[in-house]
Amino acid sequence: MMPLAQWYTDAAGYRRLGLRFDDLIPEENDVVQTALKRLPPKEAYDRVFRIRRAFQCSISHTLLPKEEQTKPEEDVEYLSPIIREVEKEFKERKDLDALIVKRK
Amino acid sequence: MASAASPGFQYDVSEAAGVKVAHREVAGPTTTLALVAKAGARYQPFPGLSDALEYFAFKTTLKRSALRINREVELLGGEVSSTNSRENVVLKAKFLSSDLPYFAELLAEVASQTKYPAHELKEVVLGLLRYKQQAFASNSEAVALDAAHGVAFHRGLGETLTPTNAVFDKYLSADAIAEFAKEAYAKSNIALVASGSNSAELSKWVGEFFKELPTGSAKESPASKYFGGEQRIASKAGSSLVIAFPGSSAFGTAGYKPEASVLAALLGGESNIKWTPGFSLLAQATQGFSQLRASTQNLAYSDAGLFTVSLSGQAGQIAAAGKNVVEIVKKTAAGDVSSETIKKAVALAKFRALESVQTLETGIEATGSGLINGSKPYQIGEIAKAIEGVTEQQVKEAAKTFLSGKASVAAVGDLFQLPYAEDLGLTV
Repeated sequence: MMPLAQWYTDAAGYRRLGLRFDDLIPEENDVVQTALKRLPPKEAYDRVFRIRRAFQCSISHTLLPKEEQTKPEEDVEYLSPIIREVEKEFKERKDLDALIVKRK
Repeated sequence: MASAASPGFQYDVSEAAGVKVAHREVAGPTTTLALVAKAGARYQPFPGLSDALEYFAFKTTLKRSALRINREVELLGGEVSSTNSRENVVLKAKFLSSDLPYFAELLAEVASQTKYPAHELKEVVLGLLRYKQQAFASNSEAVALDAAHGVAFHRGLGETLTPTNAVFDKYLSADAIAEFAKEAYAKSNIALVASGSNSAELSKWVGEFFKELPTGSAKESPASKYFGGEQRIASKAGSSLVIAFPGSSAFGTAGYKPEASVLAALLGGESNIKWTPGFSLLAQATQGFSQLRASTQNLAYSDAGLFTVSLSGQAGQIAAAGKNVVEIVKKTAAGDVSSETIKKAVALAKFRALESVQTLETGIEATGSGLINGSKPYQIGEIAKAIEGVTEQQVKEAAKTFLSGKASVAAVGDLFQLPYAEDLGLTV
């Protein structure tokens, strides 16, 4: 299945705008906002750079030159691990708030 | 000497899993267990690390999150807190005696397995540190006391308790704190102080949970040296003047001088009894000043002490009272104080020393600090004897050394009215 998946993600086209998959995660919610704040400074800077570059490409209806496009090996999860961690924290809070204590 | 005879207030020292434990058995349903670590401002490699360590206590560990710790403690009905001082960081838990295993495990977990993640530093700890700084900056007496320590000891004990350094967050990183914590919470740098539960139970659980702590090497700080000097800081937060002299170090150390605490009681400034200025010389002299608060203390540390007279309130009255302080010290040095008054001061000093050991809040740190620094914990009988033995001559001598040596003077607030040390007749 892997080759097919690779072909599919490539065909999605975001890599040709120099983006990574994690740049596409909708950020308009508490979880992702918290995760974004926890990004290391360098990662956060690079993310903004990629998004602005993609935005420019989109306006000018162009694609990036081949060497600037995201290579499959560069398309790594950088935000998702933090999102999963934050989700776990939020879930823990919710669970603890709904906790029913059974005393022995 | 009824107090010395009662066994409940004497700490028994033992060792469990390589950790020093001081314990006193007090009948009652609750127990207090505290971990005293040699990680105060004096031992921090960078400014602010000791405070950060204090705020990282009971935060996320490898096993559970800060929130979970919080909720669990709430369910058990306990109370956990942490404080830091110039020499120590104290993690304290108070709980129902039957919950001892849980809280012993919690303290061991906090000491050895706290995660120190970068985001927790940014989201929680830095914010708390900034609030602490603001609270500190708006308390002129605390600023003056801190400045007096600074001019008296420079580095080490003179390190500011709350980092006033504007660029302190430059030195703060999660990695640095984790590294500092690893050394600070090593077996050789901590002591456990417990008051309450059964001692067999205690050593069993401490032995079980604390064995994983690294042995480490004892933290060292260069021996304190007294310098003296003057510092003046303009501030809007009110006026304070601290006049300090080299004092007595903690009980059980080489620099322990019981006459310093007697002299502190003699100078005084605060009354222990309502509706009267009391017998203390400073209170008598400043009776007419309605907008002034005066107090005298001997702040004892493990290898030095600072004898401080703090005056705060209205700047003009501080200036006048400052002169009174020096006059009183001169009077005492000349032997112009009635023996009756000195007897009262001895009684008060003895009461204060014993009371501070008996009270949990002050006793815990003093006992733990005594254990880590290699000396014995507070022995009530001996302290009482030492203070009772102070003679008029000794008090006179102590006052004389204050006048002949260099003083440390810190003025904070309205500098136009606050006096220089020279004006008060002190050498700095």
